Amino acid sequence: MTEHIDPSIIVAKDVDKIYPNGCHALKEVSLTVNRGEVVVVVGPSGSGKSTFLRTLNQLETTSGGSIRIDGVCLQDPKTDINQIRAEVGMVFQSFNLFPHKTALENVMLAPMKVLKKSRDEAEQKGKELMLKVGLSERMHSFPSQLSGGQQQRVAIARALAMMPMIMLFDEPTSALDPEMVGEVLDVMQSLAKEGMTMVVVTHEMGFAREVADRVVFMEDGELVVEDTPENFFNNPTNTRLKKFLGQVL
Amino acid sequence: MDKQYNNAFWHLVFVAILITIGTGVYLSSKSIDYTWRWERIPQYLINTEPQDITAPFDGTVELSDNDKTVTLIPDNGEDPFVLKQFDILNVDDGDIVFEGDALAGLDNWQIGPITWGLVMTLKISMVSLVFALIIGLFTGLARISANPALRNLSITYIELIRGTPLLVQIFIFYFFIGTVLELDRFTAGVAALAVFTGAYIAEIIRSGIQSIHPGQMEAARSLGMNYVQAMVYVILPQAFKRTLPPMAGQFINLIKDSSLVSVIAITDLSKAGREVVNSTFAPFEVWFTVALLYLVLTGALSWMVQKLEKRLAASD
Repeated sequence: MTEHIDPSIIVAKDVDKIYPNGCHALKEVSLTVNRGEVVVVVGPSGSGKSTFLRTLNQLETTSGGSIRIDGVCLQDPKTDINQIRAEVGMVFQSFNLFPHKTALENVMLAPMKVLKKSRDEAEQKGKELMLKVGLSERMHSFPSQLSGGQQQRVAIARALAMMPMIMLFDEPTSALDPEMVGEVLDVMQSLAKEGMTMVVVTHEMGFAREVADRVVFMEDGELVVEDTPENFFNNPTNTRLKKFLGQVL
Repeated sequence: MDKQYNNAFWHLVFVAILITIGTGVYLSSKSIDYTWRWERIPQYLINTEPQDITAPFDGTVELSDNDKTVTLIPDNGEDPFVLKQFDILNVDDGDIVFEGDALAGLDNWQIGPITWGLVMTLKISMVSLVFALIIGLFTGLARISANPALRNLSITYIELIRGTPLLVQIFIFYFFIGTVLELDRFTAGVAALAVFTGAYIAEIIRSGIQSIHPGQMEAARSLGMNYVQAMVYVILPQAFKRTLPPMAGQFINLIKDSSLVSVIAITDLSKAGREVVNSTFAPFEVWFTVALLYLVLTGALSWMVQKLEKRLAASD
């Protein structure tokens, strides 16, 4: 099975995004992510990093360029975008758990409705995942009864329940109280260790330094620097990156 | 800081005001020499008078089996009419009777015209409600659709219906649409009420859906659900819960608005009331009774909605 498997799983090429109001959010962003790789995207707010992440599962449409996920072109009108989304998990800054369902039901819903799994099968998988994110005791709680960190871990379990090949994280710790950031990053780190392909937009430079295989710096809708964490943090050559790191570190 | 009220005192004030209003009504009826005849009302709710069984045609009576069976032999030699269940016998063997004569009486009670009106009001409200919900749901969804044709159609419908009086719509439905499509009055009445209420429900549903954070739709779609699945499993259940209070108000309005269908001669609670007033000459009693019955209907409805709201509040 090793023969001719394309190592790259996300290939974004010259992705452009212009909003109807004229705002040029993405300017020819190109990025390739290999299987099992963890890529962390950093940059000041408004730099387009979240917009770029959201184009990868087409929550945001593109105005130009192309994106291939596992060889399938998202801009091809024949592509079934729901199928792509089922294979690309996403975790949001504001969790976006379904408040009318318990934690476990949140995790079970999509496998049952999209993958047409039986309730028993979905429940078994759901319980497994709740154990994995350390929330076995709280799986029958409603989101409103959980802390921010717990909600975000449920959201990760919910995305994992679809057995995605890629996980996208959109500032997963930005809405959390500081003491809860760690529990979420721990789950993400163990996920990375298991070989999950991950694209993470974050302000957590420690996470980027420790977990990332590559770090990407975006500013003003442009991808400015793409490098290994060592070079990125220890020997930055780009002046814009130096300025940014000077502000955040 | 909330001001501390002496609750017992103010409850007494409330009761005193109610008693004053009641006395006022009683005294004003005295001042116009109105004689209250409440005893006339119950028979229009439940009729306990024996019910007559009348002869369907002219003929001769034959009694048999110790007066347990009445057989009416018609004059023209057709099939006889056989009567086995009755409580009071009004005829003898060999009597010659004419069509419409009372042969016998049944002791069982019957519901009276006001109760029939209540049943009709309930029926017309429930049927309209079901259709109004369906119309409202699809119009509400069309209203927020990205498709301009759907969106404009629903806006036109909503504005048209909300901008014209229900009474006029009922006339249009009965005299124009009803004539073209050959609708009976019940169908025309239900259609008018459903279309009218549907426009308001559409707006309630639209605002309910729009009140749900866009992140919910994104989360559902990011999991691979299509638009319909996301709506059905994620957005609508939440929107439904949020729209319950305005929805309850709209349902209550529907029950009250259903009184307007009496203009196309549907005997609902209001029309039954008018008819009973004509035969009893007791307008105050009848209209108070009718008002009370409407209150029972709407009260029961808001009670049920409150129950539902409490049950759905589990996840809050």
